[in-house]
Parts: sequence; C-alpha cells; structure tokens
Amino acid sequence: MAVLEQTPPAVVRPSPSQPKKGLRKYWHLYAAISPFYLIFLGFGLFPVGFSLYLSFHRWDGLGSMEWAGLSQYQYLLSDSDFWNSIGNTIIIWALATFPMIFLAMVTAVMLNSAVRFKGLYRVAYFLPNVTSVVAIAIVFGSIFSTNAGMVNAVLHAVGIDQVAWLNTPWGIKVTIAALMTWQWTGYNAIIFLAGLQTVPGELYEAARMDGAGPFQTFFRITLPLLRPTLLFVLVVSTVTGLQSFSEPQVLLQTSSNDSTFAGGPGHSGQTMVLYFFQQTFDNNDFGYGAAVAWGIFLVVVLFSIINWRLVQRRGD
Amino acid sequence: MVLWYWSGGLSDTVVKNAKARYDSSVDLQAIQIGGQYRSKLITTITGKAHIPDIAGLKGEDMAAYLPNADQFIDLRTLGAEKYKDQYLPWKWDQGFADDGTMVGFPIDCGPVAHFYQFDIFRKAGLPYEPADVSKELNTWENFFAAGEQLRKRIPGTMLLTDVNSVFENVVQQGSKRYVDKDRHFIGDQEHVRNAWALAVEAKRRGIVSDLVNGTPDQLSAKQDGKLPSELGASWAAFDIKNGVPKTKGRYRVADMPVRPANNGGSFLSVTKACREPEQAFEIITWILNAANQAQGYVDAGLFPSTPASYPLKQMQEPDPFFGGQVTTDIFGPAAQKIVVAYNSPFDIALGQPLKDEIKNVGVLGKDPKKAWSDAMSKCRRIAKHLGVSY
Repeated sequence: MAVLEQTPPAVVRPSPSQPKKGLRKYWHLYAAISPFYLIFLGFGLFPVGFSLYLSFHRWDGLGSMEWAGLSQYQYLLSDSDFWNSIGNTIIIWALATFPMIFLAMVTAVMLNSAVRFKGLYRVAYFLPNVTSVVAIAIVFGSIFSTNAGMVNAVLHAVGIDQVAWLNTPWGIKVTIAALMTWQWTGYNAIIFLAGLQTVPGELYEAARMDGAGPFQTFFRITLPLLRPTLLFVLVVSTVTGLQSFSEPQVLLQTSSNDSTFAGGPGHSGQTMVLYFFQQTFDNNDFGYGAAVAWGIFLVVVLFSIINWRLVQRRGD
Repeated sequence: MVLWYWSGGLSDTVVKNAKARYDSSVDLQAIQIGGQYRSKLITTITGKAHIPDIAGLKGEDMAAYLPNADQFIDLRTLGAEKYKDQYLPWKWDQGFADDGTMVGFPIDCGPVAHFYQFDIFRKAGLPYEPADVSKELNTWENFFAAGEQLRKRIPGTMLLTDVNSVFENVVQQGSKRYVDKDRHFIGDQEHVRNAWALAVEAKRRGIVSDLVNGTPDQLSAKQDGKLPSELGASWAAFDIKNGVPKTKGRYRVADMPVRPANNGGSFLSVTKACREPEQAFEIITWILNAANQAQGYVDAGLFPSTPASYPLKQMQEPDPFFGGQVTTDIFGPAAQKIVVAYNSPFDIALGQPLKDEIKNVGVLGKDPKKAWSDAMSKCRRIAKHLGVSY
C-alpha cells in the first residue's frame, strides 16, 4: 500500500492490475538483484532438479535416456558398497571432527588471551584452510608413508613398530582424519574466537568474585554461551566432512591405471562422494550416480538434524 | 577447425607443423583440454554446443564412446580403408564400433614389457642381458622362480610391487576380458581364473612387496634396488625416468613373460558437428603418419601404431637411461604380437570387483577363496544392475 500512496494519482489503476504495475515500475530494481537468481536458477536449481530426474533413468552420458523407475534407488538400498562408503565417511568424520573441535576450542581460548602477535597467530592458524587440499594431501602422503614417512620415524624412535598407514583399513581412515583435522582446526578456532569475544567481560568478573576457578569458568560460562557457535561449527563440519572427496582421492591414488575413486585396499577410504564419482565417471552410470547423490543428500540432512537436536538439548 | 586433445596426447611439434601446413586452407585451432577430458567432451556433445571438429579419444574411454558411434563420422566414408595397411591391425580394429562404424583413427599404443635393473639381476645370479632375460624368463613359472631366487640371494628384494600387476597383465595378454560382445559376463571363466591363480601364486611365493604403486615408499625402493623389476607399458619408461632419475643407466628392457600385452593408446575422431570432414580427415592422417608418429614418440613417449616408424632414426637412438639400449628393439616387435579383447562398456564396472578383491588378497592378506567368492557375488549383483547376463 505504501507503493500505492507514493504513485501519482494519474497512473493509479483498478486494483487487479496493481502487481503488474508495481513490477513495471520497479523492474530496474528487480533487474539489479536478478543476476544472483538467474545464475542460481541455471547453475543451482536446474542441475539439482535434473539430477532428480536423472536418478529415475539409465544414462551413459551420451546416448538416449531410458526410464528406470525406482530401480536405481532399489539397487542403492541393497548396494553394500554404498553402505560401506557411508560407514567410512561417518568414521572418518568422527575421527576428524571431535579432536578438531577440542583443538580448535583450546586454540581459540589461547588466542583470546594472547597478548602479543595476535594478528600473526590468527593468520597462521587460518593458513591451512586456504591451502590447496591436493597439495596438503601430497605432503600428508609423504608424512604417512610406511618406510620413508615422518610419522613412522617418530614411532620408531620411541620403540613402536611401524604402521602401514596407507595400506591398512584403520591406517587409511586415521590418515584422512588427521589431514582434515589439520586443515580445519585453525578455521574453526577463528570462529570460536569470534564467539568468545561476544561473551561479556562482566560475567567473568562476577564469576571471579564468586571464587570460580578457570575450569569452572570455562565449563559454566564460556561453554554455555558458545553454544550457538558450537552448533554452527558442528553443522559446517558435518556438511563438509560428509562430503569429503579430495582428501582420500589424492591420498590414495596410485600411478597405475587403477581407479582413482576406489579408496585404497578394501575400499577402506572410499567416502560417499568418492563412491558417487566412481559410479558416475568410471562406470558412466549417470542415472545411478544421481541416485547415489540423493542418497548422500539424505545422509547429510539426517546428520544435520541429529547435530541440531544434540546441541539444542545440551543447553536445556 | 577445432582440435581437442590433452597434454601429452599428441606431439606439440607435430600439431604446430600441422597448423602451419594447412594454414592456407583452414584455421586449425588445437586446444589442450585439462582436467577430466572425457567429461568435458561428453558435455559438449550432449549439450550440442562448441563440439570440436576433431576430438582425441583416450584408449580407456573408447568403450564409452563406441556404443554412441552415431555422434562421430564413420571414417570409412572418408576413405580410411586405404590407410589400413600402415597401421597395427589390432589397433585399427579397436577403433571400430559393434555396428561396423570406424570411430577412431589410431594414435599410439602401449606395448607392455619387462623393465628390470641390470646390476641387481646380475648380483642375484639371474640372466641380466635383455636377450637372455627375454629368453629365460619367458613363462610365469620361470618369472616367479626368478623372483624367489632374487629374494634369497639379496634379502629384502622383491620382484614386483603388487599382485595386481600380475592379475591385470595376464588378463590383458588374452583375447577375452570381463564382458563379451553379447553382453554376457565372462569374468568367471578360465582366462580370469588363470590370471587370479597366478596372482595368488605370486603372493604365496612371497615375491610381491607390500608397497603401493606410485608412493614415495615405492619410488625409494626402486631407487635402492629393492624393487628391481616391473611390468610396464612403453610409457612407463617416462614414469621411471621422472620418478627415479637417479637410476639412470641401471634399467634395461626385456620381453614380458609369455606374450606381450597392451596397456593404453589413444585415437583421433571426427565428430558429427564437423562441417569439413574431408579436410579434418586429411589433417588426421597427416598428423598420424609414420614420420610424425616417430616424432610423437620422441616428444611425448607415444609409441607409434605405424610399424613403418620403428626403423626410423628417431626410434633407433640408443637410450642412455637404459644403458644405451635401443628400446624399440623390444617394444616394436612386441607391438606387432599383441592380441586384444573385445572392449565392452561394462568392463570397467565388472572388472573392478576382481581388481579390488585381488588387491585385498595381496595387501590385506584376505583368504583367496573368500576373496574370489566375494568378487563373484559382487559381479553378479552389478551385472544384474547393468543388464549384463550372468
């Protein structure tokens, strides 16, 4: 109605044509915000919709599509390799996320109380996150290699047998998780730091007056007030962790003409997205690949809901 | 006229010469496509936009292109038959789709040979001159026995990196793979069982390492002479030169046991979108003639599919990396003795469970019987899903 009042009376028309007029008058404003929506429509919404359509078909990417009904989804449910990849992803995610959150929290608290070189520390902790995953994975591949690796050299020095990190099911998962932890700790520490700085100083002062020690202060004041931040960190880590792809792909690829999406011996490092790539691009099975992608989507949604509930409840 | 290829897919010198040579009649734009080559090519073809006129097709992707031969121009209609005699017959046949359409014109091939370290073999009391190695290690039994002797004489030394190199090379040596022309699964037949048994035997006799191909561990083992032997295609020579440059002069090349296999090798095609197919075909045949293929070998390690290239000077140069050996003496005759299997679009999906499970035997020590039955039940499931009869 505000629109109506501002328009000169001469152009006011009967109410049914009001919206059309508004659109005509403000088209340049709509045009100004349209690029995002048009690009999103073309490169976001359309592919999403198309992948849903694709998942009900059989398609090799070049020839004609063939209607497959629900058979791709039926096969997905009975596909032990897909379930294995879900298991791998969740284990790797857990191995990476919980140590990462702990380390990030500790780092954030230390950064918060640091007096000198604050900026330098923050930049340094953020660096791993903006480094190319491929480069990191190559370096980690060397660090965790069996005979020439640094990790095994350290283990050897303290008298522990060497571990074939990239050649055993658990070694592979731990290596991938270590890489992800290293990459994301700094980023999340910065997020926690931002959260810490919103905690009012008076609360700490009051706590100190009441005789609370540093641990009590942390668990009774800092942690509860950081809950929204923790939720954000958990959800983001879940979404990225459940979609891990480059880390296992680069760590476990071999130079022979082996599939680069197989995820090492026993598929131990084959995450959901790696499995999606294998089905789609190794096998040219685009219909099934689309079904796998929707399966991944459901798993991610499920985990985000679980995260949400857990963190919500803890505060009640 | 747009030509798509990938880095190392053609000799850059030859491409540049082709551009100059046909400059008066056509504007040849040769573009190196990075990243996922096949995905990008499929995308332009499916999207019907910006399709290159001439497209390189990687050997491992041929099975995906051939069922869609209608996207390409049948090279027979452009007079390909008259070039047939100049190319390796098996390689020529690989460019054909089931319906008889000729989709791909041969670029290179990848004859597999036995690379080994001369001094280590001599120290272990094994034959060490290429001719002797070829002659004496000519069966898998002799090859494995040599591996046992090697380990006994020089402790800590293994003949091969993994069991997969045995399994896959034995399968590649044969004229059958995993799925036949009638869309029937044949990965449970004698030829695969035999390859499986040999791979298991290699493991049992303790001649394979627990290392992974291409890792720093494997490269350092090669450099230290602890992994002095490998079965690799002609292009593996470049991997060795780049991966372990310090071994210069120590490696030699001999025939692989039993008979040569092929691994890799690409094609050029003319797409349906091409408006001057005759001109495109003329350019292709020039780029891939015997003289230019010899140049491709020098520039990019592309082993020629034209036997007339082998006696040319560029290919008869002694290679100092291989102790002055003329490696064409091994790869050339090998290339002419290769037989190939039918290239099914379902081979990748149905070969993968077997490769995965033999790897589990080799690396994780899984019971071979259990691994075989797991592979078979997986294959049965995948075959059903893909509409392949089992």
